[in-house]
Amino acid sequence: MGIKSFSRARAIHVMLVYTGGCNGCDIEIVNSILSPRFDAEQYKVFLTWNPREADVLVVTGPVTHLNRKPLEAIYEAIPNPKLVVAAGSCALMGGVYKNCHGDIPSEEIEGPVENVIPVNAKIPGCAVRPQDVLAGVVSLLPTLLDAD
Amino acid sequence: MDEKVPKSNIIETEIPMGTVHPAALEPYRVRLFVEDEIVQEAEITIGVNHRGIERIMEGLPVEKANALTEKICGICSNSHIWNSCRTAEMGLNIEIPERAEYIRVIMGELERLHSHFLYLAHGCEVLSHETFSMRVFYMREIVMELLAMIGGNRVQYGCSVLGGVRPRCDLDEAKLLRLKNDMDALEENLTGFVDRFMADSILLSRVTGIGVLPQKQAIKLAVTGPTLRATGVARDLRTTMFEYDNFDFNVITQPDGDVKSNLIMRALESFESIKIIRQAIANIPEGKVVNRDWEMFDTDIVQSYIEVPRGTLYHSYRLEGGRVRHSIIRTPSMANIGAMQYACIGDQITDAQLCIVQCDPCFTCTDRAIEIIRR
Amino acid sequence: MFENILTNPIFAVVITVLVCFIISTLLPGIERKYIHARIQQRIGPPVTSPGIMAPLKFMFKENVNISSPVPGLYKALPVICFIVVLCVMIALTPQAYMIPALASLVAIVGFLKVEEICYVLMGALSKSVMSVNMPFPDQIKGAAHNNANRSFIEDISAKRSLRMITYGSFPLYLALFAPVTAAGSIFLQDIVSFQQVNGPFLFTVSGGIAAIVFFIGYMIILNEYPFSIIKAKSDVIEGPYMEYAAKYRAVVVITRGFFMFVLGAIFSVLFIGVPPTIMSWGILINIAVALIFVFMMGIFSAFSPVFTNRQLLPTILGATLLGILSIVLGLL
Repeated sequence: MGIKSFSRARAIHVMLVYTGGCNGCDIEIVNSILSPRFDAEQYKVFLTWNPREADVLVVTGPVTHLNRKPLEAIYEAIPNPKLVVAAGSCALMGGVYKNCHGDIPSEEIEGPVENVIPVNAKIPGCAVRPQDVLAGVVSLLPTLLDAD
Repeated sequence: MDEKVPKSNIIETEIPMGTVHPAALEPYRVRLFVEDEIVQEAEITIGVNHRGIERIMEGLPVEKANALTEKICGICSNSHIWNSCRTAEMGLNIEIPERAEYIRVIMGELERLHSHFLYLAHGCEVLSHETFSMRVFYMREIVMELLAMIGGNRVQYGCSVLGGVRPRCDLDEAKLLRLKNDMDALEENLTGFVDRFMADSILLSRVTGIGVLPQKQAIKLAVTGPTLRATGVARDLRTTMFEYDNFDFNVITQPDGDVKSNLIMRALESFESIKIIRQAIANIPEGKVVNRDWEMFDTDIVQSYIEVPRGTLYHSYRLEGGRVRHSIIRTPSMANIGAMQYACIGDQITDAQLCIVQCDPCFTCTDRAIEIIRR
Repeated sequence: MFENILTNPIFAVVITVLVCFIISTLLPGIERKYIHARIQQRIGPPVTSPGIMAPLKFMFKENVNISSPVPGLYKALPVICFIVVLCVMIALTPQAYMIPALASLVAIVGFLKVEEICYVLMGALSKSVMSVNMPFPDQIKGAAHNNANRSFIEDISAKRSLRMITYGSFPLYLALFAPVTAAGSIFLQDIVSFQQVNGPFLFTVSGGIAAIVFFIGYMIILNEYPFSIIKAKSDVIEGPYMEYAAKYRAVVVITRGFFMFVLGAIFSVLFIGVPPTIMSWGILINIAVALIFVFMMGIFSAFSPVFTNRQLLPTILGATLLGILSIVLGLL
């Protein structure tokens, strides 16, 4: 293992972008990093709010119309190598908002996230559990380490 | 002070923040118009979260629609499904077993606890006080575990169903005992935190007199919930709800309407919630938890108001052949947006996000009824 | 032969700076793991992660086109900051006393001022995606003040750094000049030799007060909570550093750790009279002072919220008055 992979494995900066879900996933993810109960920092995962600093972009929510461009802009701002984690069933498949077949179909959802930006890992759950978020981010490690 | 007026009308510059910002737990855009770092005017643009819930609810079977209302908000999800079921039950004259009512109250109050703790934690986070924020998050974890124990999930529990609660959510002796013990632990932790908070003069100097919302203005803006009670108006819908008839609790008010009042308000209200849960554990009646003995018929538009952690929640719809028609949902944050914009005026930019947070925003709740005209 | 190399002053300076630099990279990790995380009752990151591994990782990231009106200058600023801190470090070593122009308080104050001015330029030149550049239709029909002049959040932070230059850094500079009153000279050599004769300045009344003022100034110039108004998370996110990516961000992270150490070294030179040099055991005192400062700063920052201008002004005013008091006491 070279010094590149070695250092990458020991400092992972995660940025969270919420794109209009129900808030449940956002709070669980912030919780998983902020709460001393889960404390992502002990696994060398740091929360950042600056796209220039981030390595992993965690996206929650079905991408609504107004959120599409901000999401793309933030994705563009992250320097390579970058990885995207889609967390929660909304981010995976549009969630209940896209697949709830009432009389009027939903027109508000651009998602799932895959339609907007490439996704590297998916974390299912409604809402995602903090343990799953940590596992999902850590599961990306091999991909991140091998990237140029 | 009856009304805050900006000291001058000069707009030096505009600072937009969002849609992604560390001080916000959900996407929204706020434009602050400032002069010399003092906010003269604030404009919150919502609609970022618009998923058209009421529209996709149209024509859904009522059970499915109830489940969908839960997805409106990840913080007060139980309140939405509770009120939605309550609307149908009022329309169809369904009798709810008393035990189910008690369990619903327990869930409602647990949710109030977790929402208020989130408020406290988020408030400390926006104050950049990481240590206190983590302490509250740690306390909140006790409540989350309890919610997961009763509902089976940490966020969306799906507790209420038509005619009562889901049999999964029934409370046996062991669960009640754990609930009781955790309430004791929670009260102890919360007392410690509040004592520590009130003794911290640096923190108090930071929150006193910030984001003042005068009572007169709060009434004018039709503010609801704890934000209204923090300005000194004792208005709590729980005093009029039949579910809370058997419970004894106080309506907490605070005098000032600033961030300090709001934070203390949430902490004191949490103690009342613990009190209500203890009464419910002590007096929970025996019997079944769900009444399946009801018939579906067409109804007129039924309206239901309940008090949720963040204010007054309104649901109304009409049933037609078992399907939901003309659903309207009005959430507390809708009324409180005006208060948020108002509270920012006259404060530093660093405090602006705090002033927004003090009104307990939940824009995911709010973004439904707004029509977006796309060009 | 070997003796010659070891006594060569340039070689001694290089080794001293290198040792100090390596120790300084551990400081952010120590602050994060052993102070913040302990107070917050969690395990916290490994000591090496924030200070060593994060910059190394940023080194290997692909460089991006940053959004700034003058990208060249913006990218040069962290390097300038690092060189400035390096110069201060070199000025503190006893070998530099041969060059009186460098090893004097005026030179150190000048270097620190350059550092502060860099923050203003960084803030003014950074145009991040997180505020105005976010593609969001908010200047629409019906919105308030549609033709208002729009500012990036970093512009606010630049204005604040300018304010910090004008009054925020008074305490630090007053504390720096307090030892001068006792030693009667602005040259580090005289201050050090004065203290070696008369005992550390820290243990006089004037020195004790000046040490408190120095600590407040230390937190202000490092932009640590509660004085982190130029990079307060609740409004300007990261302030001047918003747009740094890849290796420039690595330099920013390294500079911060090194700056922590250098400020500690300044304290040990001016208040204890122990210059950092690899040639004597005195360097252990330098390291201990730097660690104590980091510990104290960590404890203070873990228990305080960010100050706005409302709290900042009285705090700085109070610290400035204390600083003046210490100088007056020193002159008496």
